[in-house]
Amino acid sequence: MTRISGRYLAKRVVVSYLTLLVIMSLLFVLLRSMPGSFVSSMIDPGMTAEQVERIRQEWGLNEPLWKQYVNFMVNYQTGNFGRSPTNNAQVWDLVIRRMPRTIVLFGSTFLVGFVIGPLVGMYLGWWRGSTKDKGIFSTSLFVYSMPAFWISWLFIWVFNYELGWLPSAYMFTQFPEFEWTAFTIMRDVLYHMALPMMSLVFIGWVGSMLIMRPTMNNVTDEGYVFLARAKGLSERTVMIKHAARNALIPVVTGAIISLAFLIDGSIIIENVFNWPGMGQLIVDAVLNRDFPVAQATFFMIAVLVVIMRLFTDVVYTYLDPRIKFGEES
Amino acid sequence: MATEQRDASNLESFKKRWEPRIERFRRSWGRFTEHKMGVLGLLIILVYSLWSIAPGFFAPHSLEWVAYLGEPPHDARLTGEQIRTLPHPPAFGDPFFAPLGTNSHGFGILTLVIYSASNAMYIGIAAGLLSSLVGVPLGLISGFYGDTWIDETIQRVVDVMYGLPFLPFLIVLVAIRGISTTNIIIGIAVTSWLNNCITIRGETLSLRERSYVESAKVAGASDTRIIFRHIMPNILPLSFVFLAQDAAGAILAQAALAYLGLADFTAISWGIMLENIKAEGYVFEAWWWLIPPGLAITLLAAAFYFIGFSMEDVTNPQR
Repeated sequence: MTRISGRYLAKRVVVSYLTLLVIMSLLFVLLRSMPGSFVSSMIDPGMTAEQVERIRQEWGLNEPLWKQYVNFMVNYQTGNFGRSPTNNAQVWDLVIRRMPRTIVLFGSTFLVGFVIGPLVGMYLGWWRGSTKDKGIFSTSLFVYSMPAFWISWLFIWVFNYELGWLPSAYMFTQFPEFEWTAFTIMRDVLYHMALPMMSLVFIGWVGSMLIMRPTMNNVTDEGYVFLARAKGLSERTVMIKHAARNALIPVVTGAIISLAFLIDGSIIIENVFNWPGMGQLIVDAVLNRDFPVAQATFFMIAVLVVIMRLFTDVVYTYLDPRIKFGEES
Repeated sequence: MATEQRDASNLESFKKRWEPRIERFRRSWGRFTEHKMGVLGLLIILVYSLWSIAPGFFAPHSLEWVAYLGEPPHDARLTGEQIRTLPHPPAFGDPFFAPLGTNSHGFGILTLVIYSASNAMYIGIAAGLLSSLVGVPLGLISGFYGDTWIDETIQRVVDVMYGLPFLPFLIVLVAIRGISTTNIIIGIAVTSWLNNCITIRGETLSLRERSYVESAKVAGASDTRIIFRHIMPNILPLSFVFLAQDAAGAILAQAALAYLGLADFTAISWGIMLENIKAEGYVFEAWWWLIPPGLAITLLAAAFYFIGFSMEDVTNPQR
């Protein structure tokens, strides 16, 4: 059953861990080389030099750089992310509060996108070169080229400003008149989610379509497709049951990777729709020089990416029996 | 006499060497033009190139033109009543001519859109070229020396870079190095060469096993020669595909940065037009100001994608 050797897996895990350490060091250097410091935002003009010094002392900025670096590396690996100076809260608490909001919006977008994208890609790949394929494909590329915030503005303009159907900002109704029951909260969130989700799905499905289309086109030449046809199965059955299933493998691995990049992609849309999630947290942290928060969020994304990349390699061996890792032949 | 002869033979050998390539190019070109999508992309690029070379020729006004006042030197000031009509919807004839309307300062939208083309073309092509120049050679080397420490090192660098989130990383880079068009291009290139590198590596890994590489090796060709003379020509079409896609990605990334307020405000660009409309609060009131810049970005990015994916079809060896 196991097609992946234990030795290889162990090596990969060690390398992934080392990669993370390098990323962390890079983060440390990068964020410290940004001009300005969060301390300057905490200093009042009336403060004496002594008070400024005390603040610097409190945040550990007077210690030698190597000591800061060691502290940072040790703290992060023991799960101690420190406090945020601008939000005056534990970084971990901030992230825990923000994370579910991002997951709700982007998880559902992700699911919808990865249903539409591969389905369209399947049809286009199967009939590659037809007029239908050319038309839909170039249209989808055109859609793919739209700046995310611009298309969101267009949607807000039409559905919120002109028609007044959907809310354009926040996750909940401000000062709601309804009772806070589970059902009303859910309905309210869904209502507020409609527009951001529409804008995201509108562009987002193309990515998975782009992966699905060529792979689907490649499997059309495979022997088992001919066999299925020869058995007298209908074209539809061959396409969906026999060809698409195998063409889905790269899409699945692509999906796992892009899951890790969801937070990255969330930044602009969360900003447009005032969605209080991770994306906003990251941008605010970077722009306000809130290094503890910026470091922690970058770090979490890095962990996610590294784990996902390891995970895809392992999943790959199970999905496609022809692929073997780490077995010298 | 002697030199003449050598010249002639030089020309001959030159011809001999290049004729098959020209022939191959002609064949690919024929296949490329079968794709209406790719030709459309080329046409869009052509229009934008003309705009960026000679914006003054295509724009209805100069950049200093202001509604009601016209071309400088302006000998009057806008009256309060005139200011209240700005941003002005598309207007033809008197009191002024603005085919796509004006923004809140009275500048013509169409003029700004046309003058911005050069900036976007510059960012797209420069960032695409830069990330290809980093990604393609690294991918080639990594693939050629597959399973050695060289390959390992390069792939680990790629892994590290993958762990850094794209947009926040760009923001940090731009914040460190200062906001200018050059720095934005460098930032985009630094973060976008990864996919090139990985795909080119995979392709090289399979090309390395071909018999003509084997025979070149046996004939005693150096590694550099094999990489650049034997493998690279087969990689080039694919790298052009990536160049086009990177260019499209760069244009979109620059727009996203401009939205976040991280763009060079001394330059004129579509991203900044959109940033201005947000900053001045006319997003939902001035559709003639909102739509053209976004559409311009979309069309240029789409043109690069169109060309890239048509090229992919042309160079796909399975067809």
